[in-house]
Amino acid sequence: MPTTLEVPTLQELKVDEISVSSAVLKAAAHHYGCQCDKPNKEFMLCRWEEKDPRKCLQEGRKVNECALNFFRQIKGNCAESFTEYWTCLDYSKSAELRRCRKQQQAFDSCVLDKLGWERPELGDLSKVTKVSTSRPLPENPYHSRPRPEPNPPIEAKLEPAKHGSRLFFWNW
Amino acid sequence: MAGSKVKQDMPPPGGYAPFDYKRNLPKRGFSGYSMFGFGIAIMAFGYWRLFKWNRERRRLLIEELEARIALMPLMQAENDRRTLRMLRENLEEEAIIMKDVPGWKVGETVFHTDRWVTPLSEELFNLRPREELLHKRFGFVWYT
Amino acid sequence: MLPTIMNYIINPLALIIPILLAVALLTLLERKIIGYMQLRKGPNIVGPYGLLQPIADGLKLFVKEPILPSTSSQILFILSPMLALTLALTLWAPLPLPSPAADLNLNILFILALSSLTVYSLLGSGWASNSKYALIGALRAVAQTISYEVTLGLLLLCIIILSGGFNLETFNVTQENMWLILPSWPLAAMWYVSTLAETNRSPFDLTEGESELVSGFNVEYAGGPFALFFLAEYANILLMNTLSVILFLGSSNTLFSPELMTTNLMTKTALLSILFLWVRASYPRFRYDQLMHLTWKSFLPLTLAMVIWHLALPIALTGLPPQL
Repeated sequence: MPTTLEVPTLQELKVDEISVSSAVLKAAAHHYGCQCDKPNKEFMLCRWEEKDPRKCLQEGRKVNECALNFFRQIKGNCAESFTEYWTCLDYSKSAELRRCRKQQQAFDSCVLDKLGWERPELGDLSKVTKVSTSRPLPENPYHSRPRPEPNPPIEAKLEPAKHGSRLFFWNW
Repeated sequence: MAGSKVKQDMPPPGGYAPFDYKRNLPKRGFSGYSMFGFGIAIMAFGYWRLFKWNRERRRLLIEELEARIALMPLMQAENDRRTLRMLRENLEEEAIIMKDVPGWKVGETVFHTDRWVTPLSEELFNLRPREELLHKRFGFVWYT
Repeated sequence: MLPTIMNYIINPLALIIPILLAVALLTLLERKIIGYMQLRKGPNIVGPYGLLQPIADGLKLFVKEPILPSTSSQILFILSPMLALTLALTLWAPLPLPSPAADLNLNILFILALSSLTVYSLLGSGWASNSKYALIGALRAVAQTISYEVTLGLLLLCIIILSGGFNLETFNVTQENMWLILPSWPLAAMWYVSTLAETNRSPFDLTEGESELVSGFNVEYAGGPFALFFLAEYANILLMNTLSVILFLGSSNTLFSPELMTTNLMTKTALLSILFLWVRASYPRFRYDQLMHLTWKSFLPLTLAMVIWHLALPIALTGLPPQL
């Protein structure tokens, strides 16, 4: 049963990608995780349940849309303090957040003033969340074959072996 | 022998004055006990500072990890799309390359299943320049 | 072409040449310091304050005829000094000064592994010389090095527990607030003595015990090969001191600016090296059995206890560092 690989066309895969560098992403990460919680969790749930990227393209599109919207809002309202924040992050070797607390504070307060976004508390983003979704639970996401029939119960009369156990000396 | 005229060289009457022959180590500095206590105090202070800082470091690590947790769906979605796009391009290329071979089915998988199999990076980059594969493999290595 | 040259020739040289220069000046510093401690002047003829003396010494050594004893195992005889210097220089690659040339996740294990390989160069040179003095000297040196490595490894384990990683850069992060020597000064003391023994310095320099052993494992060496051994030994001394600074004296907490981190690190290293020389000028040599007793009967039980202590305390007080 060799199957052919089904891949969606390039048209279906076309999404406005977010072309920003890692420092920008990291600088925005906490607020992003808070603001785009819904589509993100939806996408991850889909990805987890379906085990197939082809079936979660719609959800992925939503994730991207939300992120794009998020960054547009930042750019519209807090572009200056945000740029300062991520350039600061870009300076340290592994973009450590603790090196840029001052810029972070400026960015946070700006975002709170203009957009009303609050920075999530430490540990909020790693909490387990429940997602209510309308997507039906996929059946058999692993495409496993049906289980074989169990062995029929033995009808005949079962008797002990004639000469005792063959594992007499190894009776552990 | 009524007393010789030779004067015997003798100690002065009453003997020599007592002299200091005992080992004499002057006591200086702190006493042993206090130095011991001082050392222990430094250790205790050090552990206190260090443990405080270590707890803070754990918090910082959690923060860094949460940044990644927040970004993961975005990255995953993007990565999925990229993989699928490359697969699609590969299929189209395959159709062009293998058009002369009779009975060739484009996109026939080697696996005996129709579940999603995450393609190897070799498979994805097979038709592309080798630099791209190397870049994908070793372009960003967090550690060695 | 140019990137290849940069990668394989210029970059290593940019690390190696400063190390060799530092080694050369360390030998001068040693002679000067010991000289002044004995109310002599030390070298002061060649160049200002004798600054060119090490270069003159090196030139002399490399110009001399390298003696190859006819009964020796010739290949090994030449190979082992080369191995010694190669190892000594390779050991510098994973050190963060301020960022390592070879960024390994298990830096410390790499350093431990390579520094235990130096034993083979000692053993090889002693055996290949085909001289009983060289052989006995090599055996004693090897026994000493291996014995003290046990302590060094266990001490390292304690500090690794406190800082939470095998990467030397995690030590920099750990010591941002405070030097690790404060909470673990007993470890630091034992570590320092063990590094003295590990690099075969006095008071543990039985390999060079001139009167007893006619200069130990390298009696048969002269000229260039001897110079290689010499360089390797001093490079190892500097390396061990750099490592001590990174582990205990917090190389990264700069007072004024992060640009000065390398300066900071190397200044502390220089101070520790001067302490090495001071020790050499002050203390008489250990007897061999005393040397062995010190490590196996004092340091080993103490460090074992320390490992347990340093495991138990952070766990009990929830002071474990983050582990990734």
